[in-house]
Amino acid sequence: MGHTSLQKIIALQRNPANIRNLCILAHVDHGKTTLADCLVASNGIISSRLAGKLRYLDSREDEQIRGITMKSSAISLHCTHGAQEYLLNLIDSPGHVDFSSEVSTAVRLCDGAIVVVDAVEGVCPQTQVVLRQAWLENIRPVLVINKIDRLILELKLSAQEAYTHLQKLLEQVNAVTGSLFTSKVLEDRAEKEEEKERDMASGDYVYDCSDGLEEADDSLLYFSPDQGNVVFASAMDGWGFSIQQFANIYSQKMGIKAAVLLKTLWGDFYLNAKAKKIMKGAQAKGKKPLFVQLVLDNIWSLYDAVVTRRDAEKVEKVVTSLGVKVMARDSRHSDPKVLLAAICSQWLPVSQAVLSMVCEKLPSPLDIAAERVEKLMSVGARRFDSLPKQTQELKRAFLECSSGENSPVIVFVSKMFAVDTKALPQNRQRPLTQEELSQRRELARQRHADRMAADQAATESNKDLNHTGRVPQEDRPAGLSTAKMESLTLKESKQEEEEEQKETFVAFARVYSGVVKKGQRVFVLGPKYDPTQGLRMLPEGCSASDAVCEVPHLSCCTMESIYLLMGRELEELEEVPAGNILGVGGLQECVLKSATLSTSPACPPFTPLNFEATPIVRVAIEPIHPSEMPKLVRGMRLLNQADPCAEVLIQETGEHVLVTAGEVHLQRCLDDLRERFAKIEISASKPIIPFRETVVRPPKVDMVNEELGKQHKVAIIHQVKEEASQSRLSDNLHVDPSGLVTLDTPNRLSTVSVRAIPLPHEVTCLLESSSELIRTLEQVNMSLREGKSLDVSLRTLEAIAGLKTQLESLLQGRKWRNTVEHIWAFGPRRYGPNILLNSVEGYQRPSVWQCLSRGDNVIDAGAQSAQLRDFDNSIISGFQLATLAGPMCEEPLMGVCFSVERWDIQSSGQSQNQDSVEKGSISPEDFAHHKVERRSDTSQAEGTAAGPGHARRRPEANAGDCYGPVSGQLIAAMKEACRHAFQAQPQRLMAAMYTCEIMATAEVLGRMYGVLGKREGRVLHEEMKEGTDMFIIKAVLPVAESFGFADEIRKRTSGLASPQLVFSHWEVTGSDPYWVPTTEEEYLHFGEKADSANQTLKYMNAVRRRKGLYVDEKIVEHGEKQRTLGKNK
Amino acid sequence: MSIFTPTNQIRLTNVAVVRMKKGGKRFEIACYKNKVLSWRSGVEKDMDEVLQTQSVFVNVSKGQVAKKEDLTKAFGTDDLTEICKQILAKGELQVSDKERSSQLETMFRDIATIVAEKCVNPETKRPYTVNLIERAMKDIHYSVKPNKSTKQQALDVIRQLKETMEIQRAHMRLRLVLPAKEAKRLKEKLKPLLQVVESEDFDEQLEMVCLVDPGCYREMDELIRCETRGRGSLEVLSLKDVEEGDEKF
Repeated sequence: MGHTSLQKIIALQRNPANIRNLCILAHVDHGKTTLADCLVASNGIISSRLAGKLRYLDSREDEQIRGITMKSSAISLHCTHGAQEYLLNLIDSPGHVDFSSEVSTAVRLCDGAIVVVDAVEGVCPQTQVVLRQAWLENIRPVLVINKIDRLILELKLSAQEAYTHLQKLLEQVNAVTGSLFTSKVLEDRAEKEEEKERDMASGDYVYDCSDGLEEADDSLLYFSPDQGNVVFASAMDGWGFSIQQFANIYSQKMGIKAAVLLKTLWGDFYLNAKAKKIMKGAQAKGKKPLFVQLVLDNIWSLYDAVVTRRDAEKVEKVVTSLGVKVMARDSRHSDPKVLLAAICSQWLPVSQAVLSMVCEKLPSPLDIAAERVEKLMSVGARRFDSLPKQTQELKRAFLECSSGENSPVIVFVSKMFAVDTKALPQNRQRPLTQEELSQRRELARQRHADRMAADQAATESNKDLNHTGRVPQEDRPAGLSTAKMESLTLKESKQEEEEEQKETFVAFARVYSGVVKKGQRVFVLGPKYDPTQGLRMLPEGCSASDAVCEVPHLSCCTMESIYLLMGRELEELEEVPAGNILGVGGLQECVLKSATLSTSPACPPFTPLNFEATPIVRVAIEPIHPSEMPKLVRGMRLLNQADPCAEVLIQETGEHVLVTAGEVHLQRCLDDLRERFAKIEISASKPIIPFRETVVRPPKVDMVNEELGKQHKVAIIHQVKEEASQSRLSDNLHVDPSGLVTLDTPNRLSTVSVRAIPLPHEVTCLLESSSELIRTLEQVNMSLREGKSLDVSLRTLEAIAGLKTQLESLLQGRKWRNTVEHIWAFGPRRYGPNILLNSVEGYQRPSVWQCLSRGDNVIDAGAQSAQLRDFDNSIISGFQLATLAGPMCEEPLMGVCFSVERWDIQSSGQSQNQDSVEKGSISPEDFAHHKVERRSDTSQAEGTAAGPGHARRRPEANAGDCYGPVSGQLIAAMKEACRHAFQAQPQRLMAAMYTCEIMATAEVLGRMYGVLGKREGRVLHEEMKEGTDMFIIKAVLPVAESFGFADEIRKRTSGLASPQLVFSHWEVTGSDPYWVPTTEEEYLHFGEKADSANQTLKYMNAVRRRKGLYVDEKIVEHGEKQRTLGKNK
Repeated sequence: MSIFTPTNQIRLTNVAVVRMKKGGKRFEIACYKNKVLSWRSGVEKDMDEVLQTQSVFVNVSKGQVAKKEDLTKAFGTDDLTEICKQILAKGELQVSDKERSSQLETMFRDIATIVAEKCVNPETKRPYTVNLIERAMKDIHYSVKPNKSTKQQALDVIRQLKETMEIQRAHMRLRLVLPAKEAKRLKEKLKPLLQVVESEDFDEQLEMVCLVDPGCYREMDELIRCETRGRGSLEVLSLKDVEEGDEKF
């Protein structure tokens, strides 16, 4: 068959009854792309000789190298079946787990699917997955059992054995379909029961004990050769057949009706040679089944003749009997496979078998099931009936698939893919006309002249600069010549950028109704768009060309160009009628990954694609050259658009994180970034793992579960004291045995006493979840402090009051009495999960809840507390700093309450002095002394670089500035006090945890638990999914252990368990990082150094090492065991 | 004493000599390499892991042991362990290779961490990662000076990095309240220090929220305090003006 012309395809597109939209689905390496190749070859696009080797639809380089498909790509084929001509829109999809998102995008656009199964490997994990996907999208599958040749040549099965093997295989596939069916029925039943239960409350009800399975009809669901929905094939060797073909052949030969043969050719039937009758019960009587006798034996003998024995004579005979012409060069070829392919592809061409099955068995766009339409149109739990009337009317348009001028256009975009701009048909290279040539010449000439002029100007202006000092145009005070250079490079880089923008995004889409025309304006409906709202807000009869629309999740765009997808090529079209798959250009601004396009605002957005694999492999990406950051960001944006499954985000830490579905997917994304989107060198690394620091109540038992005596407690405090005495603030610091830390400011004018108390878990959670609210509360307070009143909505006030009562109910007991009233601040950043508590006697300050009781915030302030109030902010700042970075590894604190129990600034006798300090009348020398001391302490807090010497040199300059120093000292003192108070309690690290949901079959459960256990995971519960043999396991896993988790679990379970990870909460890690054995039992159990793995310590040291903090580790473990030779020996 | 020739020369390997001069005499002890600093920082607690032998020498390479009377004269005791401890704590030594490299590496990291904490990408207002800063520091061939504080070096590094990449100190968000009288005059003075003025409200007094470079904070503080005689106020709204939360593309 020759190459089909574009006109032909355009003509065929208009007849939806003869259009088949289908995709090829299978497990990886079962031969999807090879099959697709055969079909493509049938259209003459590639040579049939190359079919199966070329892998035409794998257009990416890495696809060809790795030999796996990585994206779904479409091609339109023409075929003639019977008297009719058909248009097939074929989508090839990847089989690897990592790319199952691509499968989802393909399945959505199709009406039917070819499921390919390897005859040897049988049903594999991905086969199950694709069958499920096809099932969920309500599309009709047909089966191709591929690689039958492997049964002959590799397994060396006899025809009879092969038949039983194929039978079993078919049963396996049907079992999967069956389980999908039963689970659906059971679900329906559960739903019905729920409804009934609701009814029961109102009226009487008789329990229905049938489980619904019997009622539901499933006969049409299964694959069976006699139904005509199974093809046996070897795409590599180019042959394939359905029962029907053989039935036709033998009905002529043997004079048995084709219909009878069709029914009996597959199954337990045999041919009674004498009676010339087909009888039942071949197995029982030890006879050859009909299928073996009539079909398989022929193929087996052909293989035997051509490949195994290489019997030229016999081949000759077979060839003539089949009426096939074999070219001389094929028969003389040294590889028998070539000859085989030459014979088979003429005898039983696979494309014909598959194409005729597709044309007959798969539905056309006209046959789209009403049920499927409803499912597509009703997002989430919303029922179809609840949609507005106009929307429901659209259903008709769907069902009719009408291409009339008046019918609304509905298009679904399932993914965006990047195409080299050069490859677009409008930009394709073509011979230049004479006119263009001359034009180019002119341009080049001009450019040359410009450059000359610029050079001259540069040198001249250089001279100018010397004389007049004229500022160059760019407003750069730097030397002009460099400025000029920069501007030149700027221009160049701009040009470069333009050149680099050569990725154009084309939407992979399907028209469900109406005719799509080039340049048409349509509405883009976001996933959250609500047609009810849209219809209300838009005027009647509004069309997309009226540009202004302020409806949420709705925007307009123009379809700038329309393409016919032809594998790696695109053909430009003017219009595409309903029922076809197409590419749309010019949508990259308004469509991110998928969208629904329509001319009618009544159209609801389609249900989002259901992805079997969610992205879970996280890596942090950085450019090798830091200056290329902007390029990376742009590249990642493009990648995000081009890949349906990849997620890209910038974290608070500044990391650019890429989340992919698996390692292979990750590799592809990185390659894409490097070579197409960003075009820079990048490095991918393990992402930074966040931790939190907290304190806990002192433990009652030690590590070997012995009751702790008093002795141990003393030891802890002793330890703290030892540490404290090492620090430079030692003489100002006092720690009392109960954990109260008292600290003087360096000038000894002020003292603070702070105690750290662990907050109950629930309180931490509450604070964490209501951080937004606390932030608004903080804003309100700030404006109140100024005496201004901010307009606070009643709702916010209610929410704040609610938070307060909740806190009160959670903070109960003697220790926490009245604490909620005395909350001073939250931290870090004023809204975190830590509390600063005012337990200073006699110090009254406006509470954080003051906005609740407006009006009565008059507080009778004594002189002392008034003075304290001036420094109120310093204490808060100190607290904020302390909570932002804890002493363990400079990570933020969480769930700690710092209670300030004593705070005084030198009392009245000196307060005069203090005042005078504020007025700046203190003697300079005295001040300088303070200043120096202070500087060394607060430079850390303030972040200024001025050293002490610097301050000493110019005390006069700072003489007026004396309020600052005291507040600064106070900040530092408060921060230190908090840190020491924190250290006086048993400290713990909090690790971020993922909840991990794993679907796994029963046989890999054990191995999956192994992986979880190795990575410190904890199983919360497991349950069996009703109607299947799948288990759903819920577990928690530390984020720190999750790197490579997905890959490992897939490897260990041969892909039968697929995890999903979602961040859930923070959890205190079990062990104390500073723990060393202290009691006798602990010595006995752990030894002196306790070097059995302390997970917390490991985490902590890793963070400290990353941050360049001091790590308590020896550089060399054993001094003696170092290399003892000198360097120059 | 033998003749000192290359053939009979005994090379001291894996030996770090710690010297101390006391009472006009020089004393030395022989230690293992890479161990002395660990001892000083308190990580290594076992003295036998540090010392090769507990004897005190006058010259380690020649194997001359110090005389007992000299020791008693200088240290007031002849307890060798005690003397060794003293020398270990106070003597001078050449820092060994691994010690030095780990020290430099730690400082390098520390500097990078400080820079990453203080700076943002001016385009996205997001911090850079420590890794990236480290790489950038290596690109500009920054060498760590062991005797300068990391903080000071970090500020140096920021200045140098500005030439190769888009980086700037994260701004502080401040709120100024200036009394009406001085407002205008003061505003002119402050103007060069302010990077961005986010809001300005002038009724009874001038109230501004602005972003400034943290380096200017002290200067502004002084200026406002002196000029307004304590009536104006300066409040830190946030130490670092950075984007918060994760952003999805």
